[in-house]
Amino acid sequence: MGKKKKKRKNHQNNLLVLQLLIIVVVVLVVFEGRLIYTMFTHRAGSSVTATAGSSVTADSTAAADGTDTENAADPASDPEQASQDLQNAAALPSAQTQEGDSVSADALAGLALNLASKDNTLSAPEPETEAQAERISEEIDSDAVVPLCSDPVDDSFFSNSVFIGDSRMMGFRNSSGITQGTFLTSVGLSTDAMSEANIASSEGKISVYQGLSGEQYDKIYLMLGTNDLGYYPWDSFEDSFTNVVEQFHKLQPNAVIYVCSVIYVDESKIVTTYDNNDNVRKVNGYLLNVCEKLSYCYYLNLNEIFTNGYGSLLEDASSDGIHLYEKYCKQMLDYLKTHYISE
Amino acid sequence: MKYLKLLFGMVFLSLFLTACSKGGKDITVDVNALAEKLQSEAVTSDTLSATAEEMLPSIYFIDAEQMAKGVAYTSTGATACEVAVIECKEASQTAEVEKLFKTRVSSQSDLFASYNAGEVSKLDNAVIKSAGKYVVLCVCDDTEKANEILKEYGF
Repeated sequence: MGKKKKKRKNHQNNLLVLQLLIIVVVVLVVFEGRLIYTMFTHRAGSSVTATAGSSVTADSTAAADGTDTENAADPASDPEQASQDLQNAAALPSAQTQEGDSVSADALAGLALNLASKDNTLSAPEPETEAQAERISEEIDSDAVVPLCSDPVDDSFFSNSVFIGDSRMMGFRNSSGITQGTFLTSVGLSTDAMSEANIASSEGKISVYQGLSGEQYDKIYLMLGTNDLGYYPWDSFEDSFTNVVEQFHKLQPNAVIYVCSVIYVDESKIVTTYDNNDNVRKVNGYLLNVCEKLSYCYYLNLNEIFTNGYGSLLEDASSDGIHLYEKYCKQMLDYLKTHYISE
Repeated sequence: MKYLKLLFGMVFLSLFLTACSKGGKDITVDVNALAEKLQSEAVTSDTLSATAEEMLPSIYFIDAEQMAKGVAYTSTGATACEVAVIECKEASQTAEVEKLFKTRVSSQSDLFASYNAGEVSKLDNAVIKSAGKYVVLCVCDDTEKANEILKEYGF
């Protein structure tokens, strides 16, 4: 009788253990199942994308070193190549619009957008007639223009530099691979907005002037003017720009100020009438005048490398006619590394 | 038998706690692969490019000392689209990075409102998520796709 009772008790205990094991399995399935699922799916994802990830790292490193293959044939660092590229670019039928351009119309920055009224007849200067077929030289004979230097500098040259500018300068920071320098940039930044709080900082939004009020820099790179293309009246632009640069000089008396020319636009991709290359040339004329007037200001003639040869932006340089693709931002960085004022 | 029950009870409790603590997710993410996947599949209106890692502290105001690794794809300047994946040195630092991402989105939203208002809706729908030591910011065209990718990676 006693043996039977003990046997039954053992049997009951075994059942209890079995029940507990079942509970543990259920818990595992319920609470850990998702984790296990995620683990497996994530592993699969990683193995698929690992190659892409590696190549991205390689590209970034190459960009930082300035050794990527695109830069190897960079016109900014090789004047002969630049000349060749210019000729090739000029030979392209510039009336072409890029096919497969996935950038939506509302991606056009800072422009009055109106798809319905998009005027496709707007285009960059085309060599349609013999008179128009004349190439436009970008050479400027002025002491204020920063010359080509035979010894390219590296990124450390910019360690004590501040870059001020609009979305084009922001794009340069984002895509050129530059690793040093302080950036005071904002989308839509125009010459008359230097005292407005539109620059993001760790202490909230500040103005450009506030950004220049503390730390002392030895170089200022200034890229303004694109958002001033619709400036009116033009007569006062030069004075307005002069005032800005003089304020910068007061705040940063030891800094050399490099004024970047306004880079050409691709009119065939732009819907506003004022964002055109005639206005770009007009603004650049004023910028050059200011640089010629002020001894601490120098003019960086970026259109040397971005012209299509006919006074317009290279056809494949931008999706929206204004903001440059990565390749061209890297070219601009190389240009800055080979164009500087020797101390 | 009592010890066996106690053992099972402890196993149950530890498994339960491990499964439910969100911030304590012990995951390992290939930040390069995740950032690349997000920018290539969730962003369609701009061509983003990889920004030098050295520039990330000045763009997002992240303390460089807290960042183990960071990958960001940023815009040409035409749109507000961007992808940033930050691996913090400690999981406890993710909350701060998340806050900085929120500030970044808010600031961008203010600036784009007067510059290119069409971009503000993307910023309104910005995806900011963290898991383990990782924090992700994704301002894109297809947030559904971005969330799907992040789920796949354990976020």
